[in-house]
Amino acid sequence: MGEIRNFRSGNHDEPPPHGSMPRRLAAIIVGDIASYSRLMQADEEGTHVRVKRIERDLIQPSIVEHHGALVKTTGDGFIAIFDSPVEAVRCSIVIQQNLVGRNASLPKDSRIEYRIGVNLGDVIVEPDDIYGDGVNIATRIEGIAEPGQVYISGAIYEQIKHKVVCGYESLGDRKVKNITDPVRVYRVLPDADAVGRTRGRRENTLIFLLGVTLLVIASGVLWYLLAQPSGRVKEQAAAPTVAPVASPSPQPAPREAATQTPQPSPSLAAPSPSPAPAASASASSAPAPSASASSASAPSASTSSPAPSPSATPFREPEMIAIRGGSFAMGSNDDPTERPVHQVTVKPFSIGKYPVTVREWNECAAAKACGFTAIGKDDAPISNVSWTDAQQYAAWLARTTKKSYRLPSEAEWEYAARGGTQTKYWWGDKLQPGMAGCKDCGDLAVEQPAKVGSFKPNPFGLHDMGGGVDQWVEDCWRRTYQGAPGDGSAWSGGDCSSHVLRSGSWKNDSRYVRPSNRDGYDTNVRYPTHGFRVALSP
Amino acid sequence: MQIIRCAALAMALALLPGVAYPQGKTAPKDTKLYFITPRDGQKVRGAFWVRFGLRNMGVTHAGDEYQNAGHHHLLVDVNDPIDPKEPIPQDKSHLHFGAGQTETQLELPPGTHTLQLVLGDAKHYPFEPPVVSDKITIRVRQPASAR
Repeated sequence: MGEIRNFRSGNHDEPPPHGSMPRRLAAIIVGDIASYSRLMQADEEGTHVRVKRIERDLIQPSIVEHHGALVKTTGDGFIAIFDSPVEAVRCSIVIQQNLVGRNASLPKDSRIEYRIGVNLGDVIVEPDDIYGDGVNIATRIEGIAEPGQVYISGAIYEQIKHKVVCGYESLGDRKVKNITDPVRVYRVLPDADAVGRTRGRRENTLIFLLGVTLLVIASGVLWYLLAQPSGRVKEQAAAPTVAPVASPSPQPAPREAATQTPQPSPSLAAPSPSPAPAASASASSAPAPSASASSASAPSASTSSPAPSPSATPFREPEMIAIRGGSFAMGSNDDPTERPVHQVTVKPFSIGKYPVTVREWNECAAAKACGFTAIGKDDAPISNVSWTDAQQYAAWLARTTKKSYRLPSEAEWEYAARGGTQTKYWWGDKLQPGMAGCKDCGDLAVEQPAKVGSFKPNPFGLHDMGGGVDQWVEDCWRRTYQGAPGDGSAWSGGDCSSHVLRSGSWKNDSRYVRPSNRDGYDTNVRYPTHGFRVALSP
Repeated sequence: MQIIRCAALAMALALLPGVAYPQGKTAPKDTKLYFITPRDGQKVRGAFWVRFGLRNMGVTHAGDEYQNAGHHHLLVDVNDPIDPKEPIPQDKSHLHFGAGQTETQLELPPGTHTLQLVLGDAKHYPFEPPVVSDKITIRVRQPASAR
C-alpha cells in the first residue's frame, strides 16, 4: 500500500499535471474476472465481498511485492503498471497460482477466475488512471486470454523470455479490435504439465518409446488373456453387468476367508471384486475389466444383482463398535483450541474399531471410487488422505453397503476416544508405554505407521484413538469451541477450507495423543500422517 | 533377440522416471523466501497478520508437481533444524499452507516468539537446498484490554 501511495503522490509532486504530459514506458497488467456478470447475478453481495477480499489480500500485496503500482480497480478488474516486465509477469503468475489455490475448494460455477493480459507500452500516467494504446492493447490481450491464464504481448516476451523460468506458447499474430497492426501474443505456461503440451522433439521421441513400451506390455497382457480359457474372457466382454457378480467370486474367496471380519454383512452388494489391491492398478489383469464395468454401472448393477447371488463375495467392511449415547464434558484447558470446556450430549452411534486400513481403502480404489491405490501393508492404517478423500471412501462405503456410513463428528470422536473417562489420557493422567503410538509414548516399531490395533484398546474397545494416524472428522475447523453445538452433531458451515483432525500421529509427541487434542488442516491437501475412521448412524 | 532387446530398452526407459525421481526437488538459486510482515523485532498486540513473500518461485497447491513452485510452511518457535529427508512436520508449531495461502492471521501468547518460513514441494518435503526465510523474532505484548 505504501508504494501505491508513493506512486500517486509522486505524480502530484513532480510534473505539474497540466504541463507536459507525464509519459513513461511501463509494463501494464490488465486483469478482469471471467463471467463476472454471471457471478454477480448468482450472488451479488457475496461476489462483491469475495472480489474485494481477493483484491485486498492477494492482488494489492502481490503488486506491491513485485514493485508495481496499482493504477485502479474497476468493478471486476484492475490495472497495474510495473517498471520491469519480468516483475509484471511474475506478479501475474503469482496472482493466478494463488487463485488456483483459493478456487480449489469451490464448486466450478462460483469460482472467481481472472484473465490477465500484460503489455509493454508508452503510457500517459495520471494520478488515478493511465492512457495510451499500450493500455488498450493490454486490455485486448486480456480479452482473448482464457480464464486463469496469463497472456503477454510480443514486446513483453522479448524482454522476459530468458529471465522468467516458465514455458511460453506462441499464439501467433492476433488482430485485435480497433488496433491497426496485429499483435503477437504468447501464453505463459507456469506449470510443467502445460509446458509438456508444447514440448520439443526429443521429448516426443521419448514419449514415443514409452508408448512402444506400453504397447509391448499391453500386447503381453492380451496374449496372456488369450492364453486363458477363452470362454471366461468372452463372457466378461459380452455381459459386463453380469460379470462383476459372476466372475470375481472364485478368486477373492480364499483371501476373504483369511481376513474375515466378525461384522455380519448379510445383504451386501458386492460390486468390488478387488483384485490384489497393492498390485499396479493399471495393469489390466483378468479381473480389471469387470472392476471398471462394475464401477461404471455401480448403482444400477449393484441394486439388481445382489439378490440372486448369495455367493457374492462379502467385501471387507470396517469392523464397527456400537457406542451408547451419553453426555460428557468436551474440551480441556490444556490448549487454547480446546476451550471452552462444554457439555455435549451424543446420540447412539457406531464407530470403526480401527482406523480404515490400506486393505479397506484399496477395495474402494479398486472400485474406482477412491482417488488412488495405496501401497503399504494391508493392516496398516491408510494415510496420506485428504478430508475429501476420506469423504469419498465413506460415500462409497455407504453406497455399496446401503448403510449410513460417514465420518464421525468431532464430538462423537472425542466421546468415543475418552471411553467414559475424564482424565488427560483415556488410561489416566500419566504416560504409559503400550497405550498409543507417538514419538515419546514408548517404543515405536521401525516401520510406521504401525498396523492397526498394535496398542491397547480403550474402555469402549476402540484402538488407536490417539496416536498412530491423525484422523479426519466431519467438522469444519474453528480455532476454539466458542459457539459449538451441544448435541453431538458436526459443526459445519462457514468458511470450510480446513477441517478438524483428531488423534495426533506417530510423528507427534504425547501432547497430541490426548483425547481432547484437536487441530485443523486444509480440506483438499494430503499429508503422510493423515488417515481417518468411519462412523455409522444407527 | 532384437525384439527382446528393444523391449528391455523400452522397459528401462519406462522405469527411468521412477528411479530418477529425487525426493528433494531443486529450487532456483536466486529464490528468496521472506516475511513481508511482520518485520524482525516488531512488537505486536493481539492477533496479527503474517504475510509471506516469495521471489523467483511460484506458490501452488500441495500435491501439484509444478516446476519451481511450492507451498508455504510457517514455523513458530521451532528450534530443531529442518530435516531435508523428511516431510515438514505437521503440528501446532509447523503450520501448513497447502492450499496456496500466502498469509495467515496468528494469535500467540504474550512473550517473545520466533517465526520462520519453509517452502515445501508437492509432498511437503523441503527443497534442495532448502528454501527458508530468515528466522525473525517478534514480541507479543499483553492485550490492550488487559483484565
